[in-house]
Amino acid sequence: MGKGRPFLEVFSSALHEDYRFPILEIFVFLYTLGTFVFASFGAALSPQYLSSEAVAYTLTASLLGLPLFIFIILIFKNVAYGLGSDLEKGIIQTYFSYPLKRYRILTAKLLSALGIALILFLSIQISALYVLAPDVVSQYLGTVLLTYAATLSSSFLIAGIVLLVTLALKRGGLALVIGIVLFFGMSIIGNITIFVASSTGSPLALQIMSVISPNFVLSRYHYMTQPYVPLPSDLWIPTLSEVLLYTGASYVVVASLFFLGYVYFSRRLGL
Amino acid sequence: MPLVVAKDLAKSYGKVIAVDGLDLTLDEGFVTGLIGPNGAGKTTTIKMTLGLLKPDRGYVEVFGQDPWDNTAIRSLIGVIYEKAFFPPHQKTLDYLKRVCRVFGVHESRALEVLELVNLEDASDRAIKALSAGMLQKFAIAHALIHRPKLVIADEMTANLDPQARSALLDLVLQLNKNEKVTFLLSSHILPELSRVCDSMAIINEGKVWAYGKLTELYEKYAVGIVRISTDNPEALASEIKKLNYIEELEIDPKGISVRVFEGKEEILYEDVPKLARKVKAKILGIETGSASLEELYRLVVGTKERK
Repeated sequence: MGKGRPFLEVFSSALHEDYRFPILEIFVFLYTLGTFVFASFGAALSPQYLSSEAVAYTLTASLLGLPLFIFIILIFKNVAYGLGSDLEKGIIQTYFSYPLKRYRILTAKLLSALGIALILFLSIQISALYVLAPDVVSQYLGTVLLTYAATLSSSFLIAGIVLLVTLALKRGGLALVIGIVLFFGMSIIGNITIFVASSTGSPLALQIMSVISPNFVLSRYHYMTQPYVPLPSDLWIPTLSEVLLYTGASYVVVASLFFLGYVYFSRRLGL
Repeated sequence: MPLVVAKDLAKSYGKVIAVDGLDLTLDEGFVTGLIGPNGAGKTTTIKMTLGLLKPDRGYVEVFGQDPWDNTAIRSLIGVIYEKAFFPPHQKTLDYLKRVCRVFGVHESRALEVLELVNLEDASDRAIKALSAGMLQKFAIAHALIHRPKLVIADEMTANLDPQARSALLDLVLQLNKNEKVTFLLSSHILPELSRVCDSMAIINEGKVWAYGKLTELYEKYAVGIVRISTDNPEALASEIKKLNYIEELEIDPKGISVRVFEGKEEILYEDVPKLARKVKAKILGIETGSASLEELYRLVVGTKERK
């Protein structure tokens, strides 16, 4: 018997529970609806004086609105409720009686919780972008991908925290609440960061925030010369290299959280 | 060959010591019972044996290997938990077929094990729609699907009706006899264990207080038991209690059960008629008795506590 078969069976079982009818269909519908509705608003609101690259960023970012929120709700539900209730009710205990390493069980669960949600989300988003603005996508594919990477990073960061809380508490309800509080807290922290940066005249708060949410550095990179950004234009003018660096750093933080989750699940988690 | 070896096993939950220096060796081919009061450490011992918990001290080996995250031995072990949980929205037969694929067993085995526990009529039912008893039967089918060499069960008969319990105990005996499956059964229902077990581990305060073949345990602990049938058990018992060689006395519906210090049975036989005359009680019968498993358990716990 190959090692792949038990993994695929646990993965398929997790999929069956995470996306049972009609959850998958509802989320596909919401992703699609939200993507197209927000795309038309975003395109209409794009200022004429932006560079083409910034327009590509604006269009991509405007598509993210509601679908991103739905994506976050879906992954929090899958990680906190799906994994948490499996731990709480003993289904993981049942999986531990199968000839499958613990890290593979967690991978199967996370692939179902995050991987499928991400594939659904990105495939609808990128398809919509091709339909709405094929020139933007073909000319500025790098900008489009960087926008997704920078924007999704903070969602993965919170998902990583939700994973750790779920594993530590072995129940999902509280982890789900913490995740939602963190998600809304992030925008409050973002506003506080801008306030701190503009009152102190130091970019340090912005730079720290950019590690947690690299969308900060990316929007600063694209809009640094725009008058409606509530910060002095010379406060911090990031280069593309800095954008890539902060985005990379944020994924290192995300990877560290998930690595911690894997280590705990494989070596410490007692049931 | 021992299938399970636990040495100086210890586990605490904060300040609560669940298992404290437990030693246990489980030999192949036996049906071993694990009995003890609530909080004795049975479930924690089972969880460490299954690699669900890491011991704080000591070690446990199953099939000669550390069970923690060891995939190689899982195909040899069947597990039945006290509370069984499976993905709730899947159908029983479909899920068991999935488990067949996990273990590399032919899918026809799924229906076979459902029939083994008389659950074939529920093959099309979602797991969440099963009653507590049916779910327990399903858990048993799930544990047997890959023809394990060792079955570890924590309160296996919980939620089952008397008929299903009896059928399950027959199945245990049949698997043990025909397929040489070794069982470790943790339970509070001692009459059931006495029906199927040939060895017993009595566990209390996180330690094994007595372990061995049942016959050996009876020889060691259940000696000196005398049963007295009388029409006035209370009065006679109060007199017998005053004798200085009485170790334990209990009044039950059948009469008085007395345990005397070793070699004092004959003296009791002489004293009882005298005491009966004194309290005007009629002796209906007096015999040297054999202990039930419940009595054996009480005797072991009593002996150890006195020590």
